[in-house]
Amino acid sequence: MSAAIKLVNVSKAFTIRHNKADSLKSKLIGTFYKRYREQRERLWALKDVTFEIRSGETFGLVGRNGSGKSTLLKIIAGIYPPSSGEVRVALNARIGTMIELGVGFHPELTGKENVFLGGSIYGLTRKEIDEKYQAIVDFSELAIFMDTPIKNYSSGMQARLGFALAASMDPDILLLDEVLAVGDEAFQRKCMDRIDRFRARNKTIVFVSHSADAIKQICDRACLLNDGALLFLGKAEDTLERYRALLNGAAPGHELGDGSVQPTGLTGTSE
Amino acid sequence: MFRIPMVSVYRYRELVKNLVLKDLKLKYRDSVFGFIWSLANPLMLILVYSFVFGHVLRAGVERFPYFMMVGILPWNFFAQSLVMSTGSILDNGGLIRKVALPLEVFPFATVVFNLAQYFLALIVFFPMALFFFNVRPSWSWLAFFPILFMHFLFTLGMSFLLSTATVFYRDVRHFTEILLMLLFWLTPIVYEIGAIPDALRSVVYLNPASYFTMAYQDILYRGTFPSIQTILTVAVLTVLVLSAGYAFFSLLKFRFAEEV
Repeated sequence: MSAAIKLVNVSKAFTIRHNKADSLKSKLIGTFYKRYREQRERLWALKDVTFEIRSGETFGLVGRNGSGKSTLLKIIAGIYPPSSGEVRVALNARIGTMIELGVGFHPELTGKENVFLGGSIYGLTRKEIDEKYQAIVDFSELAIFMDTPIKNYSSGMQARLGFALAASMDPDILLLDEVLAVGDEAFQRKCMDRIDRFRARNKTIVFVSHSADAIKQICDRACLLNDGALLFLGKAEDTLERYRALLNGAAPGHELGDGSVQPTGLTGTSE
Repeated sequence: MFRIPMVSVYRYRELVKNLVLKDLKLKYRDSVFGFIWSLANPLMLILVYSFVFGHVLRAGVERFPYFMMVGILPWNFFAQSLVMSTGSILDNGGLIRKVALPLEVFPFATVVFNLAQYFLALIVFFPMALFFFNVRPSWSWLAFFPILFMHFLFTLGMSFLLSTATVFYRDVRHFTEILLMLLFWLTPIVYEIGAIPDALRSVVYLNPASYFTMAYQDILYRGTFPSIQTILTVAVLTVLVLSAGYAFFSLLKFRFAEEV
């Protein structure tokens, strides 16, 4: 099977600024008074990650908060460039991102207006949105609210419209970040059905979740990230087992050959 | 190395359209007089300046209200585009951090939105001016759209520059507002370029915005084609500012998602 996404030695550093000097004044003051100076710290969110995701598989990313899962997803999506290394995506593959639902929705605009705005944010043309519009409305079950400004929607309704819109994209690679927990149980089942249909058509999915159940249910393979490094990659169940072991361990850290655990904190180096 | 920005913007033209429509709708929704409010601003300016320059200072510009209309409407387009551009990237941070899309669309949509406002104002004011000031149609009007097109690209270049700079220094927003107040007086909008002392005139000639204003005045007010020098200056300024602005934007856009 060919690779849909290939990551080669991908690292990503963020510059964390304490006393962020984003105006000229604070920059000037910082030049004269040391205690107001901007402190910069480089935080490595991803460290030398190499693996590939096969075309047609559903691939899970698991790990604790701050382990780099979302950063990895955004790098694959092309939102951030990697600091070093390379991300290769299969030629001509359309990438769809569901990192947050209802991205770009404006509270003052109606449901219908937001579908057209949101659709164009995903890069759809007018014609494509026109064609999908009815299906989006049907899926969201919000037909009678389409002419109401979405500020009057409940947060569940907004999320449903957001999911219905995002699900109507027909990408070759879908990047999903913990967005399936929306609406009531019935709607969640619908969301899962939609993902299953997507899988049945042999599309590639990269799925970030804290939920072991969700990962086990839909993922073929998964990898475990810890503190920005790839700790384990294998079948979904094996990865989850490894993840549980990590969570139950005394301190998060890389396991060394002799079974001892080396604790790692924020391994940032100050500049 | 220098990719044409219009390609990605063209692919996302639906988004540009929707961003512009969103801003227009939000601006006028739920207000009784809606669009009339955006006409009130230039109208009030023209009335006040006509009174001051026509009757108090007696500057002696013929058909002063028409003269000022020709200068103030494109100035408003330029100045409002610049002020709004400072937030084009910053204010869309929520979006930029969540979806990969060509970031050029944001400054582009800002300038198109202000262009739309300019057109709407022109559609209302120009026929009025024809009627009240007995303006005769002129062949020189043919030059209006080419100049407008360059003015659009020039403003777009500035918009790329300012939207990028504001991401890194929030001061740019305030600085732009103050600078525009100064530039307004250094642009021959409420006076004719020929009417001011030589020393001051060279300062006005240092202001790029002046050449666009003078071109519009030639075309619409004086009914003559702009001189070759004016057209060349406008063209060179447009190419310079657009390429510099876009190069600056392209160089730094990879960091926007992390910085906004």
